[in-house]
Amino acid sequence: MKNKDTVELLKLLTKQNEEKEKRAAELIIANKELTFQNEEKNKRAAELVLANKELVFQAGEKADRAAELLIANRELTHQNEEKDKRAAELVIAKNLLDSANKEIEAFSYSVSHDLKAPVRHITGFASLLEKKYAVLLPEEGIQYLKNVISSAEHMGELIDGLLLFSRAGRIEMNQTSLNMKEIVDALIQPIIEIDKEHRIKFDIANLPSAYGDIEMLKSVWSNLIENAVKFSKNKITAEIQIGFQETMTEITYYIQDNGAGFDMEYSAKLFNVFQRLHSVSEFEGTGIGLATIKRIITKHGGRTKAEGKVGLGATFYFTLLKRKEDISK
Amino acid sequence: MKAKTILYLEDSALDVALTLEVLKNNNILNSIVVASDGVEGLEYLKCEGKYSNRTSENPGMILLDLKMPRMDGLEFLEQIKKDKKFKLIPVIMLTSSREEQDLIKSYSLGVNSYVVKPVDFKSFEEIVKQIGLFWAIINEIPAERE
Repeated sequence: MKNKDTVELLKLLTKQNEEKEKRAAELIIANKELTFQNEEKNKRAAELVLANKELVFQAGEKADRAAELLIANRELTHQNEEKDKRAAELVIAKNLLDSANKEIEAFSYSVSHDLKAPVRHITGFASLLEKKYAVLLPEEGIQYLKNVISSAEHMGELIDGLLLFSRAGRIEMNQTSLNMKEIVDALIQPIIEIDKEHRIKFDIANLPSAYGDIEMLKSVWSNLIENAVKFSKNKITAEIQIGFQETMTEITYYIQDNGAGFDMEYSAKLFNVFQRLHSVSEFEGTGIGLATIKRIITKHGGRTKAEGKVGLGATFYFTLLKRKEDISK
Repeated sequence: MKAKTILYLEDSALDVALTLEVLKNNNILNSIVVASDGVEGLEYLKCEGKYSNRTSENPGMILLDLKMPRMDGLEFLEQIKKDKKFKLIPVIMLTSSREEQDLIKSYSLGVNSYVVKPVDFKSFEEIVKQIGLFWAIINEIPAERE
């Protein structure tokens, strides 16, 4: 029995030892695990420190950006204020211009109504006097009356010319594509019909279309053609050539005559209002036509030019810009 | 048939004298009543004021100046063209103005003709003669019905 007990005891001890070893092994494993976890924690902590540093840096950046944005915002606000100011100034300027235009409008309206009436009365009564009572006047007196009439008529023409000139500056342009050849042909037709002896020879090129206001450009052509006919009236044969020159961006139309011409020294003056290079008795006219032409062409964004030689003739040019869509064609 | 009266609205005595002279010289012998502005013109048409004793027959045509004191040509035109008693009377604007706005307003208000008085007297004479011949003699208007 004693032996049996001893064996039992040994077995028990052995088992206890095994258990202890097992625990020890388990503890080692647990310890390893803890060590690993600690290392992980340290790693995380280090990462967090880094992340924190990054965040602090980013916060700084954000503050910087915010400051920059604030400045930019202030700048924009300022610019907006400036823009508003400019816009307000533009509105004021536009109002001033509008009221100036209205004043001119009212002025020319009253010129048209009021200034012409007395001129008409002068021509009217002087004409009646001549018609009914010429027999009572000596030759000289009749001549004086004729002078009164023709001066008053000339004044009427001047007023009309000035009205046209002033209107050319004010009128709203209605620009379309214009068949210049057709316009010129239509203007020349009545001249050819009157010219029974075929004293005037027209040579008209196949003019390209232009972009502009039809009424205005018609009056440009009409004025130029009238001038060419008028200033070549003393030639046995008047030769009037109408042509064009074209570049990528512009078309220059010209009209050339073999008439009285002019001294190039005065060519700059030619387009001024009331500027005449010939006396009225030589060639009638108001001296407003070319000024009106220049105004119209300038309004179209173009330019005018004149060339001439005394006794040999003159050439008048006007240049118009092509439209972008016409250039690409 | 008796030639119908011409009502002529014009404030300038000189213009009146010139126009009457031309009409007379060209054998347009209709009687002509001159009113110096739109107010007087309306008084004539409506037989009021100094015209309260006239017979109520309408004129055969009205010659109308644009710029007049008190009531100008456009106002007068507007008044008579909306009055069924007077709207059939032909109205001929006879004015110095070739201003686009005047032409547009006149035609919008129903003017029958718009003539610009030329500065040169020969043309003026010719134009007044033509107006007289056409509107006072050639042109037909409906008979007045009461």
